[in-house]
Amino acid sequence: MNSFERVTTALHHQVPDRVPVYPILSGVNRRLVGADYPTWSTNAEVCAAGFLKTAEQFDIDCLVSLIDLSVECDAWGQKIVYPENEAAHPDYAHPVIQDIDDYAKIQKVDYRQSKRMMMHIDVVKRLAAEKKGKLPIIAFVFGPLGTLSMLRNQQELYMDLYDDPDAVRDATWRVAETLAEYAGALCDAGADAIMWDTLMASGSIMSKQMWTDMEAGPMRMLAQTVRDHGCLNMIHNCGQKIYFDAQIEAVQPAAISFLYPPDDCRDFAECKEKYGDKVALIGCVTPANAVVGTDAEWDQQCTDQIDAMAKGGGFILATGCEYPANASFDRAERMIRIAQTYGAYHP
Amino acid sequence: MDLQEISLKLQAGKAKDVKQLVQQAIDEGIPAQEILEQGLISGMNVVGEKFKNNEVFVPEVLVAARAMNMGAKLLKPLLTAEGVKANGKVCIGTVKGDLHDIGKNLVKMMLEGKGIEVVDLGTDVAPETFVQTAKDQNCQIICCSALLTTTMGVMEDVVKAAENAGIRDQVKIMIGGAPITDAFCKQIGADAYTPDAASAADVAVDFCS
Repeated sequence: MNSFERVTTALHHQVPDRVPVYPILSGVNRRLVGADYPTWSTNAEVCAAGFLKTAEQFDIDCLVSLIDLSVECDAWGQKIVYPENEAAHPDYAHPVIQDIDDYAKIQKVDYRQSKRMMMHIDVVKRLAAEKKGKLPIIAFVFGPLGTLSMLRNQQELYMDLYDDPDAVRDATWRVAETLAEYAGALCDAGADAIMWDTLMASGSIMSKQMWTDMEAGPMRMLAQTVRDHGCLNMIHNCGQKIYFDAQIEAVQPAAISFLYPPDDCRDFAECKEKYGDKVALIGCVTPANAVVGTDAEWDQQCTDQIDAMAKGGGFILATGCEYPANASFDRAERMIRIAQTYGAYHP
Repeated sequence: MDLQEISLKLQAGKAKDVKQLVQQAIDEGIPAQEILEQGLISGMNVVGEKFKNNEVFVPEVLVAARAMNMGAKLLKPLLTAEGVKANGKVCIGTVKGDLHDIGKNLVKMMLEGKGIEVVDLGTDVAPETFVQTAKDQNCQIICCSALLTTTMGVMEDVVKAAENAGIRDQVKIMIGGAPITDAFCKQIGADAYTPDAASAADVAVDFCS
């Protein structure tokens, strides 16, 4: 069974040979190709080489093209800062939306004018050229409300949701219309799935009702676009108490990548029981533990996740968010070994 | 007037109404401390409790805190004149190399909602700045926030800087942020990790009392 078959089997809620594994090795992979963060974040050849190197060097079962959360906002002219040793981010002092009235400025734009979006598409093309059919290629896209928060700033956006929800909702739709074409281009470039980051659908941020009112509609449209391109939808949400039910209703994802139990489950075992037949589960090892605690504690967390969610398939062992960009690869390797051994399914 | 009205308007995030009602209370001769405690702090306590119980969320907390600030601005000179002291003093910041501030701001708002004076050092704060501020301004607590795994290590530098400055036994160090865990808190020798802003404020109240 190759990685593509292993993941596909898991996504179909069937039992593969072993638990598939992917310790979200994104920014950290720049070190495998000797690149600094700014180069890795802006040069498709270097970035793709980093991702491909993770596949060569480690026995991972998929590739998720998470670069950073400011790829999408580039399309609206957001100034981006490229630090030497951490992920690129918007220039927080100069957001595109400076005032609540500025939401009206956010219109649908041509993604092809965005260097960062085009770079990401190029990365996916390069990954597909090398790995299509061998490793699932999952393109990572920040959802419309998240992208909007990169053009404003989160704190202001949250107050705007209260002060002028119509303005935020309209702008979210305009962003989503742009993301629809962008996601289509990523599918055409060879992605097998789009993984949407729906960070705001979380009890640590906003109510389920507010999320449904603001982003569920645009997400429903985006998910349909991806299905029309013959690809799968996945969700990544590393917030606490995330809304599985609302997100499943809107997106009908094949899988959800997450870090904490959802809002309506006490723990991961209950999550498996409640949602395991509806969606494949990806996670949920705490990435910060790659740099904290002992190897034994890390291993225990990996086996705990397998115990709670691997039964009957439908599970991929992963970190619940990006593997720390400056961490040693040792614990990623330990996770992979645990999936290969402890995670083996016995007929 | 019934100060409960201020509390209710604050909980609803009605900043203009809160400002107007606080001014009215002042004009009626109600002592500033009474307005603060029975109007503003009482309202923020309800918001904090609901936030902890997932009955309200970040947007509601932010607009409530904005309303509180509108009222508090009017009260500040009067409280100073009345010689009213805060329930404690804290310096807070996002650690060096990290520019994320929403978590830090939420904690600040919750602390102020408990009547604690907060010295906001902003983002990208060096360990020495935390410690020097705590020394200079007699803060009982240093609160450190980090969102990134690449910057959480700076929190350990803050603990060490407090030790080196000889104030470790006079100041509590609280930490928080997305990648932070209780295990990390213990590992670096900080005094408390809290998973959310409302719990942080509760722990800070205990430390200050």
